[in-house]
Amino acid sequence: MSKDPPELASPPLTARSILLQTGYLTAVAAVAVATGISWLMFPFFELANLIMTYLLAIVVIAARYGRGPSVLAAVASVAAFDFFFVPPYLTFVVADTQYLLTFAVMLIVGLVISGLTARIRRQAEAGKHREQRTAALYAMSRELAQTGAVEDLVTIAARHIGEVFEAEVTASLADIDGQLQITRHEGGLPVEQDEVTLSRWALEHRQPAGLGTDTSASARAVHLPLMGHRGSLGVVSVRPRRRDIFKIPGSLRQLETFINQTALAVERARLADEAQEARVRAETERLRNSLLTSVSHDLRTPLATITGAATTILESGSRLDQRTQQELLESVRDEADRLNRLVQDLLEMTRLESGALQLRRDWHPIEEVVGAALGRLAKSLGTRRVTVSIPPDLPLVAIDDVLIEQVFLNLLDNAIKYTPPDSAIRIIVSATDRSVTAEVADHGPGLPKGQEARVFEKFYRAASDSRRGAGLGLAICRGVVLAHGGRIWAHNLPEGGVAFLFTLPLTDPPPAPLPADA
Amino acid sequence: MPDPVVVLIEDEPQIRRFLRATLTGQGYRLFEAPAGAAGLVEVGSRQPDVVIIDLGLPDMDGIDVIRRLREWTAVPIIVLSARGQERDKVTALDAGADDYVSKPFGASELLARIRVALRHAAGASHEADESAFKVGELQVDLLRRQVVLGSMEVRLTPTEYKLLTILIRHAGKVLTHQQLLREVWGPAHTDQTHYVRIYMAHLRHKLEAEPARPRYLLTEPGVGYRLAAD
Repeated sequence: MSKDPPELASPPLTARSILLQTGYLTAVAAVAVATGISWLMFPFFELANLIMTYLLAIVVIAARYGRGPSVLAAVASVAAFDFFFVPPYLTFVVADTQYLLTFAVMLIVGLVISGLTARIRRQAEAGKHREQRTAALYAMSRELAQTGAVEDLVTIAARHIGEVFEAEVTASLADIDGQLQITRHEGGLPVEQDEVTLSRWALEHRQPAGLGTDTSASARAVHLPLMGHRGSLGVVSVRPRRRDIFKIPGSLRQLETFINQTALAVERARLADEAQEARVRAETERLRNSLLTSVSHDLRTPLATITGAATTILESGSRLDQRTQQELLESVRDEADRLNRLVQDLLEMTRLESGALQLRRDWHPIEEVVGAALGRLAKSLGTRRVTVSIPPDLPLVAIDDVLIEQVFLNLLDNAIKYTPPDSAIRIIVSATDRSVTAEVADHGPGLPKGQEARVFEKFYRAASDSRRGAGLGLAICRGVVLAHGGRIWAHNLPEGGVAFLFTLPLTDPPPAPLPADA
Repeated sequence: MPDPVVVLIEDEPQIRRFLRATLTGQGYRLFEAPAGAAGLVEVGSRQPDVVIIDLGLPDMDGIDVIRRLREWTAVPIIVLSARGQERDKVTALDAGADDYVSKPFGASELLARIRVALRHAAGASHEADESAFKVGELQVDLLRRQVVLGSMEVRLTPTEYKLLTILIRHAGKVLTHQQLLREVWGPAHTDQTHYVRIYMAHLRHKLEAEPARPRYLLTEPGVGYRLAAD
C-alpha cells in the first residue's frame, strides 16, 4: 500500500487500464500461489484452514488492485478450492452437498473482504490526495505571500495550479476599473475564441464556466473568476490534460480553493498598489506645495530688495550720500544675481525632471571642466585656498561639459556658502579602469547627522539654514550625475567638513588617437 | 579718431534703454533696430564699427541676420544670448559672429568684448601683424617662434605652437572647437574635437602655473576657448 505511486489516485486512463489488467493477472497468479500452498498443507491441515490461505490471497489482491481483481480472486478461489481439494478431486463435481454451503460462505466472505478492503484503500488514497493538495495549496499561498507584483502573483498561481491539476493554465487580469478588459495572459493555454468568450462570461457573471460546470460543460477548459470584495479581479482558465479530472469528487472544489487563495493575494497586491499610489500622490502634492512656498518666497525676496533699492534711489537719490547710493546699487546687483541663479536652477531642474535633458557628450579632460568652474567662481572664492589634485594621466571622459561644469559649480558654491570665508576647499579627481571619481571637500561644519542622503532631495535645506538658495543645487547635481550613469554621495569628514563625491563611468571606447605631432 | 559707431539689434526696449545709457556714456554713437530686417538696413546705412545682436528676434532668426551680414561685411558682430543656449552660441560663432555675451551680463563685460572686437578690426584693417604677444607672465615672439614664461623659455611641439599662435591672433576673442580644428588640423578633422582639448591640456601644463586654475588659456564650456588678452 505504501509503495503506491502518488498518481495512482487519479492516473490517466491508459495507465489505469494497464493497472487493472495487471490486477486481474495478479489475481489469477495469487489464487495459483494459494492453491500451491494449500496443496503442500493439504496432507496436514483441515480443509477449513486451506480456505484461510485463499482468503489471504483475496485480501492481498483487494488491497493492492481494488474491487474488480479481488472479485475475480474470490470466484477463482472458490473454483480452485472445489477443483483441487473437495472430493472428488480434480473435478468441479461436488460429492458432499454440504460443501456448497462452504463455497457460498467462502464466496460471500471473499466478496465482503474485497469490498471493504477496496473501500479502505480508496479512502486512504483520497486522504493522501487531499493531503497532497493541501500541501500544494500551502506552498502556493506561501509563495504568493512573498510576492508583491500582481503580474507575478498570477504567474505563480498559474504555475502551481498547472502542476497540481496537470493542466495548462492561463490567468487573465481585469484592469483596475473595467470589467471586460482582459489585459494579460500567462501560461501555455492557446487563446481560442470560444474559451475567451467563456472566460469573459465567467468574469462578468462572477461564476465558473466551462468544463465540469453547469455552463458549457462540454468546453475543454474551466474558467473561474478571481473574486475580490469589490468584484471580479480576473479569470483563471484551466485546461486539464485529462477531461475527467473534475469528475473526481471534490476536485473542482479544491480548484476553487486555489483560485480563492489567488484572488486574495491579487486583491491584497492591488490594495497595496493603490495605497502606494496614494502615498506618491500625497508626496507629490507636498512637494508641489513646498515648491510654491519656496519659489514664491525666494523670488519675492530679491525682487523686494531690488524694487526697494531702485525706488529709494529714484525718489531721494539726490538727498542720499554717495556711499548709501553705492550700497543700494550693489544690493540691486547682488539680488539680481541671486534671482538669476534661482531661475537658472529652476529651469535646469525642470529640464532634468521633464526628461527634456539631452546629454551632449564629448571627450573632455576633467581638469578643463574643473578649471572653467573655478574660473567662473573666481570672484566668490575670493582669497580661499583651493587645492586641486588631478593625476596628469587621467583619461578623457565622455561627458556633457556644460552640465558637469554645473555640478562642480553647485558643489563649490555650496562649499562657499556653508564655510567660513578663509577656510580651504579641495578638489581631488582619481580614476580606476571603470570610472572617474571627483571629490569636492570643505572644512565647514559638515552635514547634520543622518542627513547625508537627504541633502540631494529637492528643496532640502538644513533646518538651521539662514543662507539662501532654493535647495535645488544638489538635486541638480544628482540629476546630472545620474543622467551620466554615475553616482553621487556625501559624507562628513573625520577632521571636520563634508566631502561630496561623484563618479562618472568610463564605459565608452576611447576616442580616435591623435595624429603624430610633427 | 571719431567716436566708434555701434548698431544694436535688440527687440527688448528695456535692454536697449540700458545699453543706450551704457554705450553713449562710454562715447559710442549708438543706432538701434528693434528687429532683424531693420537691423540689416541700419548696418547697411550706418557702416558701424561693431554690431551687437540678440539671437531671439521677432521677425527673423538672429543667426540668419549674421549670415546675411557676413555676405558683404567683416564688421565685428557680438551676440547676446542666454546661458544654457551654448548650442546657439556655437552656431552663431561658426556662422561668423566674433564673440558673445551671456544674458544677464554686466556693462563691464560687454564693454570689454567691444574693445577686443574693435582692436581686432583695427589690426586687420592695418594689416600690421603684431610680431610679439604678451599677457601676464607669458611672452611670445612670433618672429623668432620663442615662447617665454616669466624668464624661462618653454619648448612647444609644432602643433602646440600652431594652436597657440591661432589663439594669439584672436586673443581676447572666443574661438569654437570647429574654428580651432579647421585652422590647426585642416577641414578634414572637424569632428575630432578631442584633438583640441588634448592639445589645450598640453599647453596648459606647459604654460599655466596651475593647469586646473588657468590664467591665460580659458575654457568656455560648451562653446570653445579664449586666450586672456589683459
